[in-house]
Order: sequence, then C-alpha cells, then structure tokens
Amino acid sequence: MKNKVLMGLAAIAMVAVLSSCGKKPQVEIDATNAAITAAQTAEAAVYVPAEFAAVQDSMKAIMADITAQESKLFKKFGPAKAKLATTLTLANKVAADAAVKKEEVKKEVETSLTAVKAVIEENKTLMAKAPKGKEGAAVLEQMKTEMTTIEASVAEAQGAFDKGTYMDALNKVKAANERATGINTELKDAIAKVKGKGKPAAAPAKK
Amino acid sequence: MLIFTAVAVFVTLIIFLLIHFTPYPPVSEMKFARESLSQAGKNRADTYSKKLYTEAESYYDSALVTWQQQNKRFIYFRDFDRVLVLANLSLEKADEASVNSLNSTSSLKTKLKQKIDSLNELVSEINKLFTTYPLTSETRSRISKGKILLEEAEIIYKKGQYLQANRKLTDAEYLLTYSYDDATTHLKNYFKSYSQWKNWVDKTINDSKIKGDYSIIIDKFSRKCFIYLNGIRKWEFEVELGTNWVGDKRIKGDKATPEGMYKIAKKFDSRKTKYYKALLLDYPNEEDKAKFKSEIAKGSLPESAKIGGLIEIHGNGGKGIDWTEGCVALTDNEMDVVFKITKVGTPVTIVGSMVNLEKIVNR
Repeated sequence: MKNKVLMGLAAIAMVAVLSSCGKKPQVEIDATNAAITAAQTAEAAVYVPAEFAAVQDSMKAIMADITAQESKLFKKFGPAKAKLATTLTLANKVAADAAVKKEEVKKEVETSLTAVKAVIEENKTLMAKAPKGKEGAAVLEQMKTEMTTIEASVAEAQGAFDKGTYMDALNKVKAANERATGINTELKDAIAKVKGKGKPAAAPAKK
Repeated sequence: MLIFTAVAVFVTLIIFLLIHFTPYPPVSEMKFARESLSQAGKNRADTYSKKLYTEAESYYDSALVTWQQQNKRFIYFRDFDRVLVLANLSLEKADEASVNSLNSTSSLKTKLKQKIDSLNELVSEINKLFTTYPLTSETRSRISKGKILLEEAEIIYKKGQYLQANRKLTDAEYLLTYSYDDATTHLKNYFKSYSQWKNWVDKTINDSKIKGDYSIIIDKFSRKCFIYLNGIRKWEFEVELGTNWVGDKRIKGDKATPEGMYKIAKKFDSRKTKYYKALLLDYPNEEDKAKFKSEIAKGSLPESAKIGGLIEIHGNGGKGIDWTEGCVALTDNEMDVVFKITKVGTPVTIVGSMVNLEKIVNR
C-alpha cells in the first residue's frame, strides 16, 4: 500500500517536473539582443542592410518560438537556445562585416578625394594652356565657375568624411569627380584640337 | 492495485483534460505576419510605405506582447483572440505596405528618370543659350551648383535610393529652373527691341543696295560682323564686345556696346590707335542724345551722368571673350579687310540680334 502511494506521488512529481523544467533563456536573449544593438551601432543597417535585416528577422522568429513555448504545459526551450546561439554569432559577424564594409567605403572615399583633387589641380594647369580664341575664353570663364563649385562640393565631401558619414561623402565626391573629369576631357580635347590644327589661317574666309 | 489503476486513470484524465482544453495561441498566424513583415522590409516598405509598414510592425509587436501577457495567466483562463486579431491586422498591413512600396518605388523611379532627363535637357538649353551671355556670377554659380546636384542625384538614383535622389533633384531643379527663368526673362526683355532692330537691318541692307556701297551690320547676340555690298552679304567675322553687352549703351563707363544706326566718323591707322587699326563711329547720334536727355529728365539717370563716346570698331580681337569698354573688336587680319573697304560715312548698324528669339531658342 505504501509503495502504491509512493508511485502515485512520483507520477504527480514527474508531471510537475515536466511542466516546469523549461526555463526561458533570458540570459541568451539578452546577449543576442546586445549583439544586435552592437551591430546597429556599427551601422550595419547602412553598410550591410540585407544581412542585418536577416538577423532581425531571425530574432523575431526566436522570440515568437519562445513565447509559443511559454504557452505550453510542457515547455521546451532547447531549440530556441540553439537558435539564439546561432543568431548571436550571426549578429557578431554582421557587426564585423559592417565595420569591414565601412572601412572599404572610407578607403574608397579617401582614394576618390585624392583623385578628384589631382584632377582639379590638373584642370587648373590645363586651363592656362587651353586655347582662348573664338569662344574659348568665354567657355573657360564658365569652366572656372564650375571648378569653384566642384571645389566647394569636394570640401562638402571632405566634411562628410570627417564626420564619418562615408556614404554621403562618397556620393558627393563621385559627383564632383564626374564633373571635374568632364572638364578635364573638354580641356584636353580643346588643346589637342589646336595642336592638330597648327596655326590658324592668316586671312579670314570670304563669304 | 485497483486504487493505483484508479489514480493512474485519474492523473491521465487530468493531463488529457489539461491538454485538450488548453487554449491554443495563433502560432501560424504570427508566423505568417512575421514573414509578410520580412517581405515588406525586403520590398523597402520601411522607406517607401513607411506609415503602413510602421502600423504592421506595431500590430505585430502588440500581438507578441498580448501573447506574453496571456501566458502569465492560469492556463485555462488564457485568451488568444486579441493576439489573433492583431496578427491578422499585422499581416494585412504588411501585405498592403509591400504592394504600396512596390508601386511607389516603380512610379517614383519613372518620375525621377523623367525629371533627370528633363533637367539634363534644361542644362543643354542653358549651355546653348547662355554660354556667352553675360549672366551674373550668382546666376552662373547657381547653374553650376544645380549641375553638380543633378550629377549627385543621378549617382544616388543608380544606387536605387530614390527618396534621397528625389531630394537632390528637387534642389537641382530649383537652382536650374530659377536660373533659366531668370536668364530667359532677361533675354526676352532684351529682345523687346527686335522689331526696331529688324527695321534698322532692313534699311541698312537696302541702302547698301541702292547706293551700291558697303554697309556693316553688327549682330551682338551672335557676335557677328556682316559686311554687305550692293545689298549682298560679302563677309562675316566674329566680334568681341563690351563686357556688359546686353542692352543699349546708356552712360559713359557702362561697358555696353550701343545699338543704333551709325556711320564711320574717322579712320585711325596703326599710328593713331593702340588697337592696331580703328574706325570711330558717330556715337552718340541724335537719337542717342535725345534718349539720354529723356532719361535724365525722367530721373532714371542722375544729372551728373555722361553719355560717353569713342565707340570704335578696332583690332586686337580674337581673345574669345567680351573684353572691350563698349567697342567692337575684330582680329587684326579681319580689321585689315574692314579698314580697306570702308570709308568715312560707311553705315555701321549695331543691333541686339538679326534673328528673333523664337528662332534662336528653337535652333
């Protein structure tokens, strides 16, 4: 009789243990959330947006899984814990990738800034050599205004670079480079044309 | 044994009842809502359909919080109906945000492409009409800034960042259209005298025909000097003018080239001018003097103003820029030709343009 009562109690105890053995993995949740915040701070949304969105989606799914487990009588947080560990690793990787990408963009801006400054200097030298006859001088005047604007734009790009907003700096410096290179080509073409022509005809053409 | 069996059956029954009557949370609906939100994010609804996307996210978060709150209640008293409603609302809004974002992106992309093309056309038009036109340095600077913003907008557009591209384009559009409108208004005002210029040109060519002699016409807008003999155009030369060539000359020192029907008053060879050779015009003529007096009387010019003079056609040109104090400059070689064929009394008519503005704009 005593044994039977003990067996009954054991069965009840087993039910109690089974229904309360799963404990919400709060430590792992906090760690993963912290890693996601770190990735956000590393500007992952700017430099690796797709990867960052995947991590956020994954975390959302895990939280839904955990909540679903919490609704159950027999809770099982093992798979969620494993997913949290994977997402934590992924979030750390995304933060690292964002840092790498940011560094790449930074280097690209630095290279572009150096390049555009060199083109601007070259343009100044070419302007002195460019033909001024016919409408040349008027065009040169216009180019000078454009060069001033380009230099202002490069200064803006440098400002954005100094503030660490590399994507913005990259867009600005690329636009400045396009315009400066356009002027460079125009100047080189005009100089080559004059060299190719030799001296202009001595007498004006009779109409 | 019987008691044990009864206890076991009782416990099993209890467990069965516990499981059977436990309310089920809407796990699948939450999953669908989450997937829709994720898809909306991929479709960039967070940027292009922000309101709907934020609503969808908010419904999802509320659903999850409500679910967690229900989990804290005794198992039998849980109610997931509200969670289900919120999950479905999230799904609905996320789908709507996705569609809306795709439509917005597509129409914005088309709109931006059209705007980029039209602004590039405007830049070509500005280059065509105003390369040699004496625009103010502010206007030139605005045009230049507009061009670089347009370039930046194109770069951002190619990256697919349409909202940012739109902001840049709006700034570029303002600068370019404002400058263009300002410059064309100025130009239109200038061309208000066109009918008078046409009369002068027709009269000059006709006189050349009747008298069988040379006449000179200076077209300031095209920067051309046309020489007629017997009413037929014989020579055409490029000219350079006063730095402030748009508009008639009003006072001494305004660096404007006068407009009117003049005659050569004196001829200076290279010993008498520093500009290689020169033909002095009879500026100011009677018409200029009357106009000047009228402006003084009206008060549009100060009483101390002087009408100016010494307007010439001279050499030392070919600089490619308008540089004179109001004279008309030719290259020395061209000056030789003009100097040789003209005499004191040869008509020289200076007009803003021989072609009307409509033709200039459409050519």
